[in-house]
Amino acid sequence: SAPSSSTNRNAILVSNRQKGNPLLKHIRNVRWAFADIVCDYLLGPNTCALYLSLRYHLLHPDYLYFRIRELQKNFRLRIVLCHVDVEDVVKPLLEVTRTSLLHDCTLLCGWSLEECGRYLETVKVYENKPADLIQGQMDGDYLSRLNHALTAIRHVNKTDVVTLGSTFGSLSHVMDASMEDLARCPGIGERKVKRLYDAFHEPFKREV
Amino acid sequence: MVQFHEHIITDLLEDSNGGLVVTSAGLGLHKLISSLFLLHHHSNGCLLILSATPPQRASILQNYENALRSQISGEFPNLPSEITSDLPANQRLSLYNSGGILFITSRILIVDLLTHRIPTSAVAGLVILNAHSLSDTSTEAFIVRILRLTNLSLYVRAFSDRPHSMVSGFAKAERTLKCLFLRKLHLWPRFQVYVSQDLERDPPEVVDIRVPMSTYMIGIQKAVIEVMDACLKEMRKTNKVDVEDLTVENGLFKSFDEIVRRQLDPIWHTLGKRTKQLVSDLKTLRKLLDYLVRYDAVTYLKYLDSVRASESFRSVWIFAESSYKIFEYAKKRVYHFGRSDSGKVRLSKTASTKKRKLNDNKKDEDQSTSAESRVVLEEVLEEPPKWKVLLDVLREIQEEREKQASSGEEKDHLGDGDDNGIVLVACKDEYSCMQLEDCTTNGSQKVMREEWEKYLLSKVQLQALPKRNAKKAKEPKGIGVLDGVVAAPGKKAEVSSTSKQEHDALLAAASEISKRINKDIVGEDDNQKLVDDGGSVKGKGKGKKKKGSAGEKANNDVAPEDKAMEDGCLNEVFLRKHDQGPDAESSRETKKLPPVVFYALESYKKILDILKPSTIIAYHPDIAFVREVEIYKAENPSRMVKVYFLFYEDSTEMQKFEASVRRENGAFESLIRQKSLMMIPVDQDGRCLGLDSSNEPQSIISQNLITRKAGGRREAEREMQVIVDMREFMSTLPNVLHRKGMRIIPVTLEVGDYILSPLICVERKSIQDLFRSFASGRLYHQVEMMSRYYRIPVLLIEFSQDKSFSFQSASDIGDDVTPNNIISKLSLLVLHFPRLRIIWSRSLHATAEIFASLKSNQDEPDEVKAIRVGVPSEEGIVENDVRAENYNTSAVEMLRRLPGVTDSNYRAIMDGCKSLAELAILPVERLAELMGGQKAAKMLREFLDAKYPTLL
Repeated sequence: SAPSSSTNRNAILVSNRQKGNPLLKHIRNVRWAFADIVCDYLLGPNTCALYLSLRYHLLHPDYLYFRIRELQKNFRLRIVLCHVDVEDVVKPLLEVTRTSLLHDCTLLCGWSLEECGRYLETVKVYENKPADLIQGQMDGDYLSRLNHALTAIRHVNKTDVVTLGSTFGSLSHVMDASMEDLARCPGIGERKVKRLYDAFHEPFKREV
Repeated sequence: MVQFHEHIITDLLEDSNGGLVVTSAGLGLHKLISSLFLLHHHSNGCLLILSATPPQRASILQNYENALRSQISGEFPNLPSEITSDLPANQRLSLYNSGGILFITSRILIVDLLTHRIPTSAVAGLVILNAHSLSDTSTEAFIVRILRLTNLSLYVRAFSDRPHSMVSGFAKAERTLKCLFLRKLHLWPRFQVYVSQDLERDPPEVVDIRVPMSTYMIGIQKAVIEVMDACLKEMRKTNKVDVEDLTVENGLFKSFDEIVRRQLDPIWHTLGKRTKQLVSDLKTLRKLLDYLVRYDAVTYLKYLDSVRASESFRSVWIFAESSYKIFEYAKKRVYHFGRSDSGKVRLSKTASTKKRKLNDNKKDEDQSTSAESRVVLEEVLEEPPKWKVLLDVLREIQEEREKQASSGEEKDHLGDGDDNGIVLVACKDEYSCMQLEDCTTNGSQKVMREEWEKYLLSKVQLQALPKRNAKKAKEPKGIGVLDGVVAAPGKKAEVSSTSKQEHDALLAAASEISKRINKDIVGEDDNQKLVDDGGSVKGKGKGKKKKGSAGEKANNDVAPEDKAMEDGCLNEVFLRKHDQGPDAESSRETKKLPPVVFYALESYKKILDILKPSTIIAYHPDIAFVREVEIYKAENPSRMVKVYFLFYEDSTEMQKFEASVRRENGAFESLIRQKSLMMIPVDQDGRCLGLDSSNEPQSIISQNLITRKAGGRREAEREMQVIVDMREFMSTLPNVLHRKGMRIIPVTLEVGDYILSPLICVERKSIQDLFRSFASGRLYHQVEMMSRYYRIPVLLIEFSQDKSFSFQSASDIGDDVTPNNIISKLSLLVLHFPRLRIIWSRSLHATAEIFASLKSNQDEPDEVKAIRVGVPSEEGIVENDVRAENYNTSAVEMLRRLPGVTDSNYRAIMDGCKSLAELAILPVERLAELMGGQKAAKMLREFLDAKYPTLL
């Protein structure tokens, strides 16, 4: 039932029901247009979103369920965008969580209209984006990689990484250092020495 | 044991349910606990000791052995054993049933309790250390609750010697008592009348030595405090924190971070970068103050260099006016740099100045870089003033002893006769111990010189890289700024050229040294190795390492005895040592120094009882150590004990010491007040009812059940089950779920953290975890796995009760869609896994409610199936496997973060190589085999061997 004319492909389609929602002011990075659609926001051919303010939910606890039922099975990704606008969230949020989870909707929470708007924008903008942003590729430069690796050990901080690096010259030398040499590094106390040494020398798998 | 220890025990034993004991720091808590062991009899069941840190365990054991030896009874009870996950289940069971004394981690215990591997009736009692770190959701509380349910005769004795941590937060003492089902709070401050009577009856003789700091040290201290003050003022401006607690005095303590964090935590995610930066700056500054009095000038400079290199440009403090002085003074304590032709070479006033002109050696280099002038690098190498004082004190002690010896009455005077004349020097850390020891044997100047040479060498080695020039060319500006010379823009060019010259001068000096040392090393290499190996066998971390060459001879005669002394903790060894005494004495007499043992407070060894020193020098004053000395004296009333305190005059060190006394007293006063107001509900047998008694609101679900079912009729109560991954027992959610009445089944899960039903699998992420695992890509992988195996994969985003319930404030959201924002990452995740469900939970308790609600119309999960999910091979299943105990988790985590290592090859690497240290030396061919590819192997090898870029 969703109209997908070529002019509207790059825009968010907004249901007429949403007229007057102040959220619309915050959709600025993507074009949007009103249309006659079932969901509140149509974000892609198979992606839709329903907007729900928790305050509204408190007044109409059944609203969300009926809206979800209207969607039928037409979408691959169905988002419930929940605006957390009450102080006492635990009970209403529990109900919203339960309803969306058991009826195949993904719940996203925003604490301000800006945030809610940004979710809509982002989902639209990233519609066809590959996932490498969240697959853990990091900046390639040596220092940040070294930082990342060594700070895997608890309580090791950036300064320690510099100290270790400059004292031993390379990571392989750091990993090979004796307890005594580690202890000679300023800023690295007894416990950190032990922690470092154990991380390097204890086997990955302890013998059982 | 001192008399008041007996008082404490009698008080504690009065209530058969046990109690919570809070003492001042250093009042011999471990002795107390070990004497409780003596009261344990195996027929009652086993005694479990929870949350003891390794040093605490060692110290308790040592005390216990001493106590046993002093007992004359022929029966020799079993020594305490330690339960680790290495022990197979049946051996653990037999240990539980043996009725012995067992050290155990709370994670193993809770898993064994939940899987019914330990019968609750087999436990006679619990001893819980570090009670200040308990909370009502912690695993220890969980354990006590489960045990209490069925075992009514159980006693719980909890201890803490950190009163100031007991008063943080609202009614903490009361809450702690309740969560342990205890009624009695026993407070034993140092000012308690029994304690002070016992300790002050015959106090040790105290000599207080105030050492003036050098001019530059004062300068640095003043500058750091100024910067700190500026940071605190900034902090106040943010209006986010209660200003009352934010004083420079508080800023000296570690717990200052806690105060700030406690105030800021609820709004942490909404804070701007600047405020967060301020918090971390204050931490850095606190360290700078601390290290100023602990480290020598060269090491301090080295540390500053590291800080400077690692500190991001966002740091507020680095730009403060005064921080320029910090760097400047720190440098001036080590060397002075100037141009000879401009006639500006000022001589330092420090007495121990050594000068060396380096122009000749590096003239050629100079000319190539800048032809304008000759440069002079003067070594200043200011010694820490305490070094000299320490040596003076040692000499004085020796002189006094000689005088006494000549007057002939020494032996009678000392009474006990087993006086070994040892002087104990207590320092904060191992590093100071090594240095001071070097000082006493080789002289302080030599030590300073060695540090200086090492400092220079570390520069020259790092400089010898091709990478350096490229890097340098890029950041001359950065260097100028980092040097603290953010001068007027017009001067910039000149400034950076000066720092370049300075840099070159340092390099030249370094290369000269390295040439000299290279020559030496060729001849000395084997020799030194031998010595090193010998030295590393040492028992309590006394450095025996020699870097230079001259020191060896002087040291050789001392070393073997010292080692004998360290290696043994048995008295016999010391008696023998005493026999050797006169020998050693004579050899030392030439040096005019008494036998000295250096002890690092950080190592938490109870050295006083072993060494029985007659003179103690507190090189770095520490309140807990002072109490230990007092107790040592009280226990050995016949022994003369003389204590020297070395304080830096008007230093933060002193301020900190005095403040720590005040702070502890304040904490106790507040605890005493709290105690008088506490309300602990009890049942008719006088047992504490615990936290649950305070009528917890019925869960929403059960309320709904009542209204929906006709007339409140209930179905036969079906117990809900949740399968929980072993690793999750680090967190407190299992505890809360259990309190909700769910059955917890601990297993090792390959996929997910919680299995609620055959369909629902939950991966739990705290906010911090969420950000981190987005960055590492781990979350993506986890969600992928969950989606593969479960119909309803769920990501649980769990906010913490006391933190704000939001990611960011509206003002932080910005105008554009940016890839680094959490919103972008979540959106991308959702787009790629349309089946993923997300639970946003306000708190642990809300999570429990949600779980219960989701389970209400689902089948119960199947344990056996859940274990199999996602396990690569059938034989890979190891049941009863507490994973985190069996894996070196930091090492695995670090391995997975190395370049070239992926989710698919890290297991193979772990199979093919034992540890990171081994990995560090594997040749690239072998790596390629393990990693299944040349490219990845090469990438890893190159990363491991890459030279660390230079600091200067």
